[in-house]
Amino acid sequence: MLFLLVFSYIPMFGIIIAFKNYKISTGIDGIFSSSWAGLSHFKELINDYNFPMLVRNTLVLSLLKIVFSYPIPILFAILLSEVRHVFVKRFVQTVSYLPHFISWVVVTGISYAFFSSSFGIVNDFLQSIHLIKEPLSILTDPDAFWGLAVSTAIWKEAGWWTIIFLAALAGIDPSLYEAAEMDGASRLKRIIHITLPGLKGASIVVLILTIGSMLGGGLVGSNFEQSMLLGNTINSEKSQIIQTYAFTIGLAQGRFSFATAIDLMQSLISVFLIFTSNAIAKRVSGTGLF
Amino acid sequence: MRRRKTMEDRVLDTIISIILIIVVFVTLYPFYYILLITFNAGTDTASGGMYLWPRQFTFGNYLYFLEDPKWISAFGISLLRTIVGTFLGVLFTGLVAYGLAKRDLIFRKSYFTIVVIAMNFSGGIIAFYIVLKSLGLINTFGVYVIPGMLNLFFLLIAISFFTDIPEELGESARIDGASEVRIFAKIILPVSMPLLATISLFIGSGQWNAWLDSAYFVQDEGLRTLTYRMMQVINQSMVPSGDAQAAAMSRSSVTPFSVQATAMVVSIVPILGVYPFLQKYFVSGMMLGSVKG
Repeated sequence: MLFLLVFSYIPMFGIIIAFKNYKISTGIDGIFSSSWAGLSHFKELINDYNFPMLVRNTLVLSLLKIVFSYPIPILFAILLSEVRHVFVKRFVQTVSYLPHFISWVVVTGISYAFFSSSFGIVNDFLQSIHLIKEPLSILTDPDAFWGLAVSTAIWKEAGWWTIIFLAALAGIDPSLYEAAEMDGASRLKRIIHITLPGLKGASIVVLILTIGSMLGGGLVGSNFEQSMLLGNTINSEKSQIIQTYAFTIGLAQGRFSFATAIDLMQSLISVFLIFTSNAIAKRVSGTGLF
Repeated sequence: MRRRKTMEDRVLDTIISIILIIVVFVTLYPFYYILLITFNAGTDTASGGMYLWPRQFTFGNYLYFLEDPKWISAFGISLLRTIVGTFLGVLFTGLVAYGLAKRDLIFRKSYFTIVVIAMNFSGGIIAFYIVLKSLGLINTFGVYVIPGMLNLFFLLIAISFFTDIPEELGESARIDGASEVRIFAKIILPVSMPLLATISLFIGSGQWNAWLDSAYFVQDEGLRTLTYRMMQVINQSMVPSGDAQAAAMSRSSVTPFSVQATAMVVSIVPILGVYPFLQKYFVSGMMLGSVKG
């Protein structure tokens, strides 16, 4: 009976996994070109005049997001843990991870409402207090895109990742704080010597996850969706990334095998990053994910 | 033990309070501002300078939204895909995970390998598209719900959850002559409610917020989702349009922007509605996922 039950699941499972593997095999063989293309699509990609720009945008965006968004949940968790008032603490936390459940489309809509050069409230406000004369074109200026992407990502996801760190903090033995207080340690001292070390484990796990998913935008969200939604033809020199390029090339221009080659390359880099970061973490701290 | 506040305490508390107030403001104000736009006449909003209260209070934006069949159908499709997609997703993920969590399952390790490989390595969007096309899913409602039926990340979370349920729980019922289906329904399901609630919330909000599949895998206008419509308006707002719709709008006080804000509010409200009920579950569910990676 048990076996029957178990095996009735396997077909469902098989169908969907076949799906996955089929995808990969389709990509490699390029069955729609119906002949072996060899590595020519990869060569084409590397020689593509857009290629350096795509790689630069992808890497810079990913790195910026890690540098700016990784420390924020940690700091925010420490901050919240110092709040004594339980209701205030819970309220602030609930508010802070609310945007996590909002679609990127809505986030983009909100950023239009705020930063648009014609009706955005930020430009409006800055002009009314005579700080600027001409509206800033934050949404279309290529140089503003990276900042925009990083800050909207932080706005959306930072509160969410705070949950993990707060949970780690809840695991710290309260008697440590009491003992430190008896010994006359100040609050800052207690934060530095008890709270921070208590966060070490969680920080490492999250860091591995971040680096592993770096090309996708790390923890704070999707490079792809941001680039598709916040990017436009005017700022594309800074917003176009490898994935969106594959998408437009493939679905809009119908160059399936070329686009798949681009995707495959990104996949390989990601897998490589996951394994390296895990290996490094294992060596440094003795803990890894697998 | 209540000790007196020291100077340091006061300084720190003040700094913390200020930062928290800023955080709350920065997070909530955008939502408030969008809400504000929806209750103000669109033509008036366009003139700018409104920060706190509606200047020309109106329900016009909502009425316009309700009268437009395009938005209503989009809302319906979004709602339907969320319900169907979440149901199917939770059902499949739950059942498969329950099966895979059995320790005496043969080839258990191989299945895990297959799952992990598939999770970290994908064929990319194009291959995915080709598969959907060859399965005849393109341009059907199925494209919204079928590919997402088995979410591998939640599968791993669910497996680790089911593995932690003591075997004895089912064992005693089995001795009493309960069938496997009965054990699953009467014993396993009730204890897994927190898990199921978490997965439902994640799959549900993913379904509700999805726009990419509607944009690229569907051409039938009747199948577009709410998020897709919003994206469309956002894209159009970059280029001024002079079509019949814009003309129709100009007769009322509604602007594309105020309608878009209305759609945004409409899409946020359901999330806010279920949020408080599921909140206590997803925090623990999140931890489950993070610990296992």
